[in-house]
Amino acid sequence: MNTSPITSWDGAEAVFTFADKPAVMMLFLLLAAVITFGTVVIAAVHEKHAYNSH
Amino acid sequence: MEQELAALTERLAALESSTAMSGTINSEIFYWWCTALMIAIHAGFLAYEMGASRVKNVLASGIKNILAFAFMVPTFYFFGWYIYLSFYNGLLPADDAAGLPWELSMGPNLTDNATGIFWAAFTLFAATTASIFSGAVIERIQTAGFLILAILLGSVVWILGGAWGWHPQGWLTVKFGYHDVGAAGVVHMVAGFFALGVLLNLGPRVGKFNSDGSANAIFAHNVPFTITGLMLIIVGFFGFLGGCIIYMPGEQWINIYGQPTTLSAFAFNTLMGMAGGIIGAWVKTRDPFWMMSGALIGIFAAASGLDVYYPPVAFVLGTFAGFVVPMVAVWLEKMGIDDAVGAFPVHGIGGLIGVVACGIFAGGYPNIDGMPPVSLWGQIVGAATMAVLGFLPGYVVSFVLNAVGLLRVPDHIQEKGLDIVKVPVSAYPENYVTGPINVATPAGVAAAPAE
Repeated sequence: MNTSPITSWDGAEAVFTFADKPAVMMLFLLLAAVITFGTVVIAAVHEKHAYNSH
Repeated sequence: MEQELAALTERLAALESSTAMSGTINSEIFYWWCTALMIAIHAGFLAYEMGASRVKNVLASGIKNILAFAFMVPTFYFFGWYIYLSFYNGLLPADDAAGLPWELSMGPNLTDNATGIFWAAFTLFAATTASIFSGAVIERIQTAGFLILAILLGSVVWILGGAWGWHPQGWLTVKFGYHDVGAAGVVHMVAGFFALGVLLNLGPRVGKFNSDGSANAIFAHNVPFTITGLMLIIVGFFGFLGGCIIYMPGEQWINIYGQPTTLSAFAFNTLMGMAGGIIGAWVKTRDPFWMMSGALIGIFAAASGLDVYYPPVAFVLGTFAGFVVPMVAVWLEKMGIDDAVGAFPVHGIGGLIGVVACGIFAGGYPNIDGMPPVSLWGQIVGAATMAVLGFLPGYVVSFVLNAVGLLRVPDHIQEKGLDIVKVPVSAYPENYVTGPINVATPAGVAAAPAE
């Protein structure tokens, strides 16, 4: 998979993966946000379960 | 002759370019190490919180603190940096809003040596605010509720205060000449008052208060660990305060408001304030926990004017604050509020003293670009803004979390201990720490500073 936004280092600016593919960038950003906030939800569920089982 | 001149011009241009690049990279290196040092703040808070907890809650306190750090990083990337760069006028983004996570500066970019390193430094400032709050609520807050509050404080609330009062175009600076170079208000006051707002809804640890309202001392399981943690925090604050000033390649340093300053100024006044704080707290309490807290209090008391104080002024401010703040901790306990590590007195009141003192002892210092000079009025407006900005979201959101059952650990779980309920490993598996683990004795023996 070619993830590079550049074909040469000459005059390169943004060099991070998918810098030339905004849709893919947004997909990973969304995924990161889901992981972050989803984990908080999982923490709440796990805690309730732990408290109820003691 | 012309050829020699052309060659000389070419060499001069190359030299200028090389010097400029060297300055840019030096700037990056400086903030890289400031950020690394700031991680010591978090390590210190981790040790401090775990030491202050009872054996039965040690690891749960540690997990909570580590998670605060972990959640600050992505959330500050998602929206914290955007809030700082875009909300300096108030509650609406400015026309030149920046810092959104899909911008080309928000990742490796060979034409931008600044964004990543400044984002990192500010992320660590955010982690500091979350850690300040984290200590106050140990041993009885639910992890999910804590994370929601930590994200709110670290990636929204304090950085909004930063945009208003710690930004060259912030409205507090532009309209009132607010001066807070070491973040006494925007970090410490906001975090301390936020913690107070949460504590009112969270309630005390089981066993802290008797039915007649009198307090019991809940002993830290490892006081040496808390003291060492506090010293680590102080080490980290040299990174924090270094990150508060701006490296200008080829020019004099400037503070966050664009006024010229030096790292030497910060060195003088940080150390003098710190020493004063230790002495003031020692005179008042004779307690090593409060002496090291006093070191922090002394730094915060001098923080707003680190760039301009005559060092003995910083020392006197530190001594005063180190003496007074432990009394606030005693008062708080008498009011029935269980602030397990003194976060509100140390950070909220220590920061308040710092902000107001700057109006008294640094009044009249000029600003730039026609903005108002430093004044007592400007500092009072700034202090009031930071207090409300911290307290209100902390109180309101924790009230809601409490209403939906996401804030307080049930009392019977607190009595059992959080580690055995939530953590798959044991802090002291070989029973190294023996004896009763849930001691409650009359107040004034160890947890409260001596009067």
